[in-house]
Amino acid sequence: MLKLYGRGVAENFVLDRSRLFTLTKNPHLPIGERADKAFIVEGSLAPEGYGAYLTFESVEEVVQQNQLELPEEMSYIDEGDIARISPSGRISVIFRKKSPNNTFLLTERCNHYCLMCSQPPKDHDDSWLMEEAMEALELIPKDTVNIGYTGGEPTLYGDQFLELIAKTKQVLPNTAIDVLTNGRTFKDSSFAKRYAEIDHHDCLLGIPIYSDDPAQHDYVVQANGAFDETVQGILNLKRFNQKVEIRVVIHKQTIDRLVQTCEFIARNLIFVDHVALMGLEMMGFTRANLDKLWIDPYEYKNTLSKALEVLNSYGIKTSIYNHQLCVVNLDVKPNYVKSISDWKNEYVEECDSCIKKNECGGFFSSSKKYRYSDHIKAFR
Amino acid sequence: MSKFQPIEFYKNKSHSYELLPLRFEALDDENYVVTNMAGEYLTLPRDKLSKLVKHELTASDPDYVNLRARHFLVDDKTSIAKDLLAIKLRTKYSNLSEFTGLHIFVVSLRCEHSCPYCQVSRASDDKVAFDMSKEVADKSLDLALKAPAQNIKIEFQGGEPLLNFPLIQYIVERAESLRGSKNIGYVIATNLALINDEVLQFCKKYKVQISTSLDGPKDLHNHNRPRKGSNSYEKAIEGMASAREYLGKYSVSALMTTTKASLGRVKEIIDEYVNREFGGIFLRPLSPYGFALKTKTYAAYDAQKWHEFYVEGLEYIIELNRQGKEFREFYTALILSKILTSTEPGYVDLMSPAGIGIGAVVYNYDGKVFASDESRMLAEMGENKFEIGHVLKHSYEQIFLSDALLDPIEESFAYSVPMCNDCAFESYCGADPVFHYGIYKDYVGRKPDSEFCNRNMKIFKYLIKRMEEDPFVKKIFTEWAQPNA
Amino acid sequence: MEVQVLFDKQIYSVEAIKKAAYRFIDKFSAVISEEGPSYSCALNFPDKSSDNQVTRIVDDFKKEVLDQDLRESIKKETEGVRNLILAHTFSKAGLIKDE
Repeated sequence: MLKLYGRGVAENFVLDRSRLFTLTKNPHLPIGERADKAFIVEGSLAPEGYGAYLTFESVEEVVQQNQLELPEEMSYIDEGDIARISPSGRISVIFRKKSPNNTFLLTERCNHYCLMCSQPPKDHDDSWLMEEAMEALELIPKDTVNIGYTGGEPTLYGDQFLELIAKTKQVLPNTAIDVLTNGRTFKDSSFAKRYAEIDHHDCLLGIPIYSDDPAQHDYVVQANGAFDETVQGILNLKRFNQKVEIRVVIHKQTIDRLVQTCEFIARNLIFVDHVALMGLEMMGFTRANLDKLWIDPYEYKNTLSKALEVLNSYGIKTSIYNHQLCVVNLDVKPNYVKSISDWKNEYVEECDSCIKKNECGGFFSSSKKYRYSDHIKAFR
Repeated sequence: MSKFQPIEFYKNKSHSYELLPLRFEALDDENYVVTNMAGEYLTLPRDKLSKLVKHELTASDPDYVNLRARHFLVDDKTSIAKDLLAIKLRTKYSNLSEFTGLHIFVVSLRCEHSCPYCQVSRASDDKVAFDMSKEVADKSLDLALKAPAQNIKIEFQGGEPLLNFPLIQYIVERAESLRGSKNIGYVIATNLALINDEVLQFCKKYKVQISTSLDGPKDLHNHNRPRKGSNSYEKAIEGMASAREYLGKYSVSALMTTTKASLGRVKEIIDEYVNREFGGIFLRPLSPYGFALKTKTYAAYDAQKWHEFYVEGLEYIIELNRQGKEFREFYTALILSKILTSTEPGYVDLMSPAGIGIGAVVYNYDGKVFASDESRMLAEMGENKFEIGHVLKHSYEQIFLSDALLDPIEESFAYSVPMCNDCAFESYCGADPVFHYGIYKDYVGRKPDSEFCNRNMKIFKYLIKRMEEDPFVKKIFTEWAQPNA
Repeated sequence: MEVQVLFDKQIYSVEAIKKAAYRFIDKFSAVISEEGPSYSCALNFPDKSSDNQVTRIVDDFKKEVLDQDLRESIKKETEGVRNLILAHTFSKAGLIKDE
């Protein structure tokens, strides 16, 4: 797992406030362009004029103003990355140029409290995250293929959320967006309409539905009335031709009606653009609720196949995420995707001898650490 | 410290529930089929159904959750069902405004076959008397292009339409020049005996599809379809091969006609289609029109015999699929679309409001306009109840707003008709005023007596039973049901 | 052959009986009248019907009356919401004017 944030040891570090810096290894930047860049020191060269200098323990000390010595685990940083650096020396890498999965956390506030939430909600004013995302847009390379917005619940920002999407369209006209949301705010058709009016060329809203049974869905997300509002939101979005993906996290509370849930999607929401059937991540609340949630994927592989068969029969584009190849049936392979974000993707020892390792998505770092299937077995 | 609520916190608070509109029919001695407003079904034992209606069903009953999720009831937990039902219904009805889909041009009544079941009289070589004129063709095409539908299909029929091939060319070329933003697909329904390079070249140029008849193996086909030289089958096979070679494998489709001679031979007929590399077969019920009735060949079999024929055929096809051969039954697929999806396949005989005029219309060689293919057949028998106008005498509005068309549509609308309005299968079925008028002299008929009702009800129950008892059948049926399958 | 079946007026509606009788119109003809506290159904079977057939059909008829009774309850309860859903269905399809 990549360490995306850390604390550096500061040397002559003077910064008036937290700032975003684009990282660079280029010592020849025009003087006028250096102030908002953080230079990654690799040798003894540390040309003047850069806003900050990032070094590692292994690198010899260079005397410069605004030098920050970072922990070795952060030596992955590279040209074009974007980081927030605070006066206290805290650094957070919010964008990595080489990563296909750059995601911006917009808020930790949420109107759900999912049993398996990997980003447990906090009810405090963290609007600075939204401001920072807006600021980062100016720095993100224009050729970025895709970025993600998540939370918490991003649409709690209301119109500010819409401004963010609009600005993304304007500043990054070639970049696709993936938003994770519970969709409930879109039950207000005027909000859905205003979202549609932005007319972003490629913005996908990923909305979870955990059961065809409203009581079960509401239980999983710990919010009464959630199911109806989420479905209403999806209907409104589709009324305005917006792209919607339905996400189903598979665990003990969603497996019993997984097939019926897919039938519900096929009969009522057949117009959705994509369905994602996803394995459980061991982060956040999941561990606290493990007794309610854990079921070995190997135990449910036949149900997964049946559920997928329903969606495939109806011609609905479906992907299977976050499962290892040895715990699913062969028949799901056409829909199987290596999906785990690169920074939290790992394999276990058994995988070393597996001939299908390259095709397999592997594990969440958290799963490897805390809990994964008892049936991991290398293909020979 | 748990900040999480248990599931009880999220269940419905009150024990009461409201029924959503639902209908039911007995499936067998124990179970009933229950359908909701969008035509989705559930099976329940009768006592459960009774409990449901009497509001005695409790939320802890496993059927309760299913009934709520599938839109048979609402309670204080959820009311999104009403919106979803409205949307599904809207989807089913959305094609109503896109009429008329199929325009049939009968370009000639002449034919060199003399099939006993054919509704068209054996005509002579008199082209003047029995061929469509240019004037009629022009007016018919003008009417076709007036239809609101964005996508229309023009089908050339006869007799044998290739006997008037020059007119087909004329109509297609004129249609292409006048179509504007409309998309037009062309089909020639031919016995293929007269296919040649000139015809094939033309079909290739305008992407014309070929629809032909294949009644089964050689002896059956030739028995059904007498021709000088007794080689209808050989000609058809030869024609199919040429057409496929020239136009592509999927450019030719085949329809079978079921006759007395077909009964008992369904597996052979299917094998013939499999061997000829068709992707499926349409096990059509025999229509009671034309020579079939006149020569009493219709009386020779009844609904029960046809049902057995159909079931044996369908079971054989299911077995083929089980063994890995992909092959479909198209009549079943149409019905399955209505059972398993919200799309309306637009098959004239299974539409309510009736498909006459809305799904299809016929421009006859003599200028008369008929509300459907069956309507024309009925006229050939002397009953012109469904003749709705004449291309040379009437405007589009005069034809399509005529009482002759609107009265039967309105009066036969299944939702308002005795027994159909209570029927669980109403959304799978259709109103067939032409059939009922032909046999019972009534647009509606008495459904318990109606062979149409009997036949369809048996099929619906049969298909539902098979799906419920066999997951493999459910799987392939779901695939067959998809609209662009 | 004629069979008479009596239905208690307090329990069965004449509508349910009529509708049930309609479904059996291919098997018998029915004449329905009132007889004191009951509705009387005189069912007339074709001469060639056997006793067994008649018994079976009469049983089915009685079950059908119960089913029609159930249908009546459903209709009564769901009439309003059915009209609501239909109005919703057609108002957006443009088949009737937008409100």
